Amino acid sequence: MRSCRRRKQISIAKMAEEQQESSQGEVEGGNCLAYDEAIIAQQDRIQQEIANSSPLVSDRQDLAVLQREYAEEDTVYQLKIKDLHKQYSYIRKTRPDGNCFYRAFGFAHLESLLDDSKELQKFKAVATKSKQDLVNEGFTEFTIEDFHNTFMDLIELCEKQPSLQELLNSFNDQNVSDYVVVYLRLLTSGYLQREYGFFQHFIEGGRSVKEFCQQEVEPMSKESDHIHIIALAQALNVSILVEYMDRGEGGTVNHHVFPEGGDPRIFLLYRPGHYDILYK
Amino acid sequence: MENKYNLKSPAVKRLMKEAAELRDPTEHYHAQPLEDNLFEWHFSVRGPPDSDFDGGVYHGRIVLPPEYPMKPPSIILLTANGRFEVGKKICLSISGHHPETWQPSWSIRTALIAIIGFMPTKGEGAIGSLDYTPEERRALAKKSQDFCCEACGCSMHSALMDLTPDSNPSAEDHKAKELAQQINFKEESSSSRQASESGGAESEPPTLTEGDASTSAGQDESEGPEQAEASPSTGAEEPPRAPAGTGRPLSPRQRRAQQHSQQGQQSRPAFAAAPRQPRDEGHAGSVVLIVLLTLALAALIFRRVYLANEYKFDYEL
Repeated sequence: MRSCRRRKQISIAKMAEEQQESSQGEVEGGNCLAYDEAIIAQQDRIQQEIANSSPLVSDRQDLAVLQREYAEEDTVYQLKIKDLHKQYSYIRKTRPDGNCFYRAFGFAHLESLLDDSKELQKFKAVATKSKQDLVNEGFTEFTIEDFHNTFMDLIELCEKQPSLQELLNSFNDQNVSDYVVVYLRLLTSGYLQREYGFFQHFIEGGRSVKEFCQQEVEPMSKESDHIHIIALAQALNVSILVEYMDRGEGGTVNHHVFPEGGDPRIFLLYRPGHYDILYK
Repeated sequence: MENKYNLKSPAVKRLMKEAAELRDPTEHYHAQPLEDNLFEWHFSVRGPPDSDFDGGVYHGRIVLPPEYPMKPPSIILLTANGRFEVGKKICLSISGHHPETWQPSWSIRTALIAIIGFMPTKGEGAIGSLDYTPEERRALAKKSQDFCCEACGCSMHSALMDLTPDSNPSAEDHKAKELAQQINFKEESSSSRQASESGGAESEPPTLTEGDASTSAGQDESEGPEQAEASPSTGAEEPPRAPAGTGRPLSPRQRRAQQHSQQGQQSRPAFAAAPRQPRDEGHAGSVVLIVLLTLALAALIFRRVYLANEYKFDYEL
């Protein structure tokens, strides 16, 4: 709104000029409304471009594809990719739309449960109960139940031991996939708020946990940080390992396990601003 | 209605649920889809007590995008209220300066409560926001109950449950205020500026400045001067039947109307009569400028001639 007003001032100044020259004709970009519409349109275009160029969740690819993403003389990354190769062989990419952590987590976890029906049942119990926890916390039941149902449908699909392709198709169906992301966001938000005594120390900008959740967790396309990962991992009682790969010196990737000391079944690759799935 | 829509569509599923949830009017708000369109709703909200909107019941439209609830609804007020411009789309801002983002777990009810909470906040010059005086707002609040919506057949007298003294409005109020703090509304350009919008706004006293300029300009665009004195109910009886599609770019005509409205504000001190000009304020402005320049030139030439004459006289003497 602040920028909006500034634009308005500019536009008024412009308008005054216009008036001296000639007051007829269109004033291009002359008002804030047209401006914001242009921004929305451009954001939509960018989103569309990203959507066309990468699926929500890709097929599993050889890790070698990473090498080709960076220039050969980019030694920092090339060394780290080599280091990554020591432990991992494949990568599955997710669409860089701000929801990649949740999508990567959701897919990788359900995929890992496809051939482990005991763990799947355990997870199903946790997931079933999770809605009531959210409702008890004050979330409106009728607004969250569609998201929860979609999530449960996917778990039930996994119970039928479908082909991997079927699961992949579900995760590439925008409606289903986004609803799962919403539900995982809600779970993250719910856990953060339930344990606010602990988490409030990690929130920057003097915001309360609730505000943080409203601004950084629940809205779609908001990127995830450590705090989101810890919360989701604990909310669902799933251990996640993240390999961090950035421009830092050292030639090796660093990893973190969330929560600490867990025995991770899911491996994610973090590059600044984005998460993909790794396979051994 | 059930047969018309794809029940597998998440938006349809959700909206059906919300329609059931909001079926009965409460003391503070009520909203239902139009009979022939699940994606357009009409709502009524009670002005918050302890504010200039106390006693007012305001009516409006909600237009839902096909991606709902992943994308936010748009809200358009149809009753003059002195806080939001009539007929302009209010939507959640995309501005990066404020954390004002729609959440899929919010609902139409959330939006209604937020609107109520937002009414007493300051417009602060945001486009489309109105900062009418308390007296004007109170007058509009009183008048608002006379509104009758033709599209949904709602009369504001009976749209909501009567307030009962034993009800506990403070809880609702609190929720509303909290929400209003989280959400930042801004007005978006309406996809269709129709006569009725300005008709509704015309119920304002014509003395208003600033925000009123745009509505009166819009009115001048679309109506003859004879309708300028139309009673408030004229506007009330013609709710805009805009297409449900949102975010349509403005037509040149609409853009011009907006541009003129801003020029109107800008040029008001210089050309007091401009807003009442029947058509083109811009045109009026240039005419006045031309006349001024011509006068100045004439004065200069006159002086020159006079001086020349004087000189000549001197010479002759």
